[in-house]
Amino acid sequence: MTTDVSNLGGRQAGGALAVELTGLEGLKLPRKSWFPRSTVIRVLSPLILLVAWELIVRIGKVGEIFLPPPLSVLRVFVRLTADGTLPYAIWMSFLRTGQGFLYGSLLGIIVGLFVGWSQIIEDIVDPLVAAIYPIPKSALFPLFMLWFGLGDPSKVVTILVGVLFLVLINTVTGVKTLNPILIRAARDLGASERQIFLKVVLPGALPNIFTGLRLGAGIALILVFVTELEATNSGLGYLLWESYQLMLVQQMFACIITFGILGILSTWFIQWLEKVLCPWSTTVTRQ
Amino acid sequence: MENICAIRNLTKVFFVERTGEYVHALDRIDLDLNRSEFLILLGPSGCGKSTLLFMLSGLDHPTSGEITFTEKSHDNKRLTCTVFQEYALFPWRTVIDNVAFGPEMRRVRKRARYREAERYIELVNLTGFETRFPNELSGGMRQRVALARALANDPEVILFDEPLAALDAQTRRVLQTELVSIWSKTKKTFVYVTHSLEEAVLLGERIVLMSSRPGRVKEIIDIADIPRPRSTTNEREVKVLAMLAEHIAAEVDKSMRREREL
Repeated sequence: MTTDVSNLGGRQAGGALAVELTGLEGLKLPRKSWFPRSTVIRVLSPLILLVAWELIVRIGKVGEIFLPPPLSVLRVFVRLTADGTLPYAIWMSFLRTGQGFLYGSLLGIIVGLFVGWSQIIEDIVDPLVAAIYPIPKSALFPLFMLWFGLGDPSKVVTILVGVLFLVLINTVTGVKTLNPILIRAARDLGASERQIFLKVVLPGALPNIFTGLRLGAGIALILVFVTELEATNSGLGYLLWESYQLMLVQQMFACIITFGILGILSTWFIQWLEKVLCPWSTTVTRQ
Repeated sequence: MENICAIRNLTKVFFVERTGEYVHALDRIDLDLNRSEFLILLGPSGCGKSTLLFMLSGLDHPTSGEITFTEKSHDNKRLTCTVFQEYALFPWRTVIDNVAFGPEMRRVRKRARYREAERYIELVNLTGFETRFPNELSGGMRQRVALARALANDPEVILFDEPLAALDAQTRRVLQTELVSIWSKTKKTFVYVTHSLEEAVLLGERIVLMSSRPGRVKEIIDIADIPRPRSTTNEREVKVLAMLAEHIAAEVDKSMRREREL
């Protein structure tokens, strides 16, 4: 007799279906592996690449000026961290990105909810969005410098606009794809229009809002780099650009890697937030 | 028998924007609801039984005629609540927060509304599942949550829009039995839309047979005196079934002939 129990684990419909494993002694049952092979490969892959990179440069086939060996990059990275250069640059970039992202996403969520909810507001806003959205937001930066001056506000506004549109469009999608029967059910249970907006439309759109936030975080990082190329002497983008101009290749690499780390951290943060705020969402349970 | 709601001369005409046509969904419906009865609205698809339910819920208005409830709503409390075929549970709310939704909208304090919700969760046999999300439940369990949610809002009348149509046959049987027991325990008025003759005979006290296009009340059959538990193989039930089948067949025949003519 064969007993297939490979599908019994996990959070299944019901949960009351928990199966007692009696009378199955002696059968070879699948079990959770202690150290999945996939994880091993995933750790080894970048390690091997780093080692190969180090070796290639050491053997002298590629000039260090184009591709500094990982260990020397690490040394510079540690030095820049210790003397405060890198933390300061990160902090300045974080302030600009954080403000732009925060205001942009709040504005995007609020406007998006109203646009999705009201046909009139959609008719007003939609053509404006359609006209502005295709413009690369970095192309607006010179204009914003003209309007808001050379300081941080023009950078923050550029990031804000970039984030705003992505969050806005995804929020509208979230409201529009909400099953209308949920709104009918809420009304049937006595909810006022205001309550429907706050207790049905907002939570219903939340998974899509998070899609917008994830995309927005990506664009915010791109825009902070672009805007820091001009009219500033602080921030990670500035440091990277300066490193290029002074031909400090290790320092360039250190900045690039830092950008990568910031990207990963922001993604993790948004994923964590989504897990906390929408525990029901299927995209969350699948992760 | 105490009258709880009177439907008088109710007509509903829909305007279909896409085609610019008018659809005559309901035609001069006269119907009374008695307190604590189990009323079945039975008819072929397209006879307007769901439309009638929608009018009863007050979320849509008749083109002419009127619906009058004897009770008046107070404290924003709804006189009716609907159980939908598609469950219509809020996926972001746990079972208990779904059930407590109605009281929450009336700003009942958290502890009080949870206590109330807990009572109905127990009534529909879902104790232990309070913190689950709907997508972690089976179809039958989701419909129990929907029923508990309607009950927890404490309406006079509960409207059912083919609530068991999407379930498998076994689950449907179990829920039919439980529905009857909950109805007799809570003494609420149930108005139940179905196109299943068996369901009508197993559940109903009165069966309102509707004809289609436009929807009219064709006949009202009183079967309150058939004892429970009922079975589709008992003599009396079989007789009623046969009669209903005849009516429905004539109706379907008529509408198909009309479709051919179009």
